Amino acid sequence: MASATPPAQGRSPRLSDRGLAVAFISPALLLLLAMSVFPLLWALYLSFTDYSATRGGPARWVGFGNYTAILASAQVHQRALTTLLYVVGAVGLQTVLGFSIAYLISRRTRGRGLLTTVFLVPMMLSPVVVGLFWRFMLDAQFGVVNSMLGSLGIGPVEWLTRQRTALVSLIVVDTWQWTPFIMLIALAGLTAVPKYLYEAASIDRASEWFRFRTITLPLVWPLLLIAVLFRAIEAFRLFDLVYILTNGGPGVSTETLSFHVYKVAFLGFNTGTASAYGILMVLVVIVLTQLYLRYLNKLKED
Amino acid sequence: MRHPKRKGRPFLPGRKVRLATAAMLLAATTLAACGDDGKDDGGKASAPKAPATIPELTKDPLTLSFIWFEWPPAQALEDFANAEYKKERPNVTVKVNTVPNANWHDAMFTQFAARKTDFDIAILDSQHIGEAVTNGNILDITDFVKGNIDVNAYNPYLLAAYGQFPQAETGKRDENASLYGLPLLGDTWTMIYRKDLIGDKPPQTWDEMISVADKCQKDNPGVSGLAFHQANGSDAAAVTYNTVNGVYGGNLWDSKTRKIDGVLNDAAGQEAMDVLVNKMKPLTATGSGNWFIDEVNAAVAQGKACIAFNWIAASGGLLDPKQSTLGTTREQILGKLGFATLPSQKTNLVPLGGMGMHVSAYSAAANQAEALNFMKWFEQADIQKKWAAAGGVPSRTDAIESPEFLNAGPFNKVYADSVSRMRDMWNVPEYARLVDIENTNVNAALNGAKSPKEALDDIAKEQQGVLDSSSRKGGDGL
Repeated sequence: MASATPPAQGRSPRLSDRGLAVAFISPALLLLLAMSVFPLLWALYLSFTDYSATRGGPARWVGFGNYTAILASAQVHQRALTTLLYVVGAVGLQTVLGFSIAYLISRRTRGRGLLTTVFLVPMMLSPVVVGLFWRFMLDAQFGVVNSMLGSLGIGPVEWLTRQRTALVSLIVVDTWQWTPFIMLIALAGLTAVPKYLYEAASIDRASEWFRFRTITLPLVWPLLLIAVLFRAIEAFRLFDLVYILTNGGPGVSTETLSFHVYKVAFLGFNTGTASAYGILMVLVVIVLTQLYLRYLNKLKED
Repeated sequence: MRHPKRKGRPFLPGRKVRLATAAMLLAATTLAACGDDGKDDGGKASAPKAPATIPELTKDPLTLSFIWFEWPPAQALEDFANAEYKKERPNVTVKVNTVPNANWHDAMFTQFAARKTDFDIAILDSQHIGEAVTNGNILDITDFVKGNIDVNAYNPYLLAAYGQFPQAETGKRDENASLYGLPLLGDTWTMIYRKDLIGDKPPQTWDEMISVADKCQKDNPGVSGLAFHQANGSDAAAVTYNTVNGVYGGNLWDSKTRKIDGVLNDAAGQEAMDVLVNKMKPLTATGSGNWFIDEVNAAVAQGKACIAFNWIAASGGLLDPKQSTLGTTREQILGKLGFATLPSQKTNLVPLGGMGMHVSAYSAAANQAEALNFMKWFEQADIQKKWAAAGGVPSRTDAIESPEFLNAGPFNKVYADSVSRMRDMWNVPEYARLVDIENTNVNAALNGAKSPKEALDDIAKEQQGVLDSSSRKGGDGL
């Protein structure tokens, strides 16, 4: 006869399951409150004032004055257009290239791992480093790009100092760095497509294009859209490449919204306006993301 | 099997109570963060005053920290101060912290905004003084200067430019105005020209300079006629336009009425912009639209420019054979490079550069006392001459005229001859925004993104908007 195991000693009332859970999560919660929630609420408060971090003094309440000024500002409209062109250009190019590379890699059986690793290298570099060496490569006088064009008989191009080429240069550099991100996610999607679908299509003598259009693309599409969402959010708040490569120039033609917020916040230390500007940018991202996610959910349901 | 019933949760309050506690916590945090507002009020009034006499100095080891941007004079200052100041104050080590030029203003003023600085002496551009004084970030040293500095030893305008606020009239000093800094490094532009390509005699007028550069460019394929600052960062393109504006008789503003629109873009201003964009820009190298100090120096050192303009304090490297293709010795390089004062046209104005020393209002008392002592020491006649010999550009008249300075570099005489011709920009709290507006628009005109007239009118209109924005309710900075 087995002896009955004595019941475990009851926990102190202070250490109930719920109490324990609270004790464990409270440090993280407090950290989140102090580092994220409070600054956000503080910025929200400042966005309704004319507060300046350097001028000091009490913040004067201006209601929605900062918001209406930002939404009505021609300067902001110009930066919004530049940002939109940049996001559409960079993310569009990265999606096409990333998916194409992933598709080609997925069809190889040998050396796939090595190729994937090599393609991922640019993504692992700091944007500041990427910006600095591309700045040298695109230099009109001694850059390697113009040197190569010169050997083909093409005259020097002012990549970073002309209105038409400066934004294109930013898109190209961002594409060089972030195409691997799209490629990686697309590759994950392509690898997950069940092989039997292709086998069935082969039995039916379906063409390559038909298989791509009716099997590959529909199955990878939702995953690809998530990658596009991430990249679009990242591109929307682009700052570092602009700062290093063009400093917003020529003139202000490559100034993005983030770069403009930086100038408002630190050149004149107009903290209230900059806070409102930042809040509006967050709102735009949230609204667009919600619309996008709804589309994605609808796609899943279909 | 039934699990033993869990004990209740006597120590966990209800949902409403927890929400109320969280709200109180947030409110308390907010109040704590707002608690400094009372202290901030002081910043709105004016800068705190430094003592008239230097307080007792500490005998403990002390590091006196400066903040400047990364360029050769910064290292020269640290080496010079540690070699010479240590003779008087062995327990003090001088550290000159540097940041990239583009981050210089931000690095200083974000610390000022935090009301805590890791530097004791801020090396401010003359145009930063207004912002720092208005915000109460630097000490008012008027009384200290009266008792410790021989103000008559300086050209009055140099003393005013690096320390006085409100800004002095060009060429003058208001003796009743307060002083917030003392000169550290004087500077202006020098014209650097290729003697082997255009001859020993430098052009005397701006029009002649353009004509000589044009001929030189045509005669020497691969060498551009001109090289000058065009970048849209820092104050690069703005200083270039302001220089041409001054030479062609223009004005940046009417300081008494705070009027820019109609002054900057008057006929003289338009002519200056036209000269810069349509006559000077075509003589520069392809892709030079983002050039600043280093790029101009590189073009000169590589023999790629007939005539260039740069700050004197940044020109020392041009004579280093290791950095130049113009010769293997300093003498060989000097056989090809000449340095001259800027050509004149309708006026002979030149840009005022350089910086002053300003004591941080948030530095510890012992460090503030040491900073004042350092400034008193630095402004002595013999120390200024030693600073000149060490590569610095002094501001005391006796040091500027001394052989130690004049013989230290071929461009030093250019500085000495330029002192009476200097003109500064606006020294107002809104400076950072004014200069950004000018930089971006001049850069746009130089790179074909705007027509010269459109750019100049935009500068005038936008800058006027900044000066008039105090009555606006919201949207400051746009």
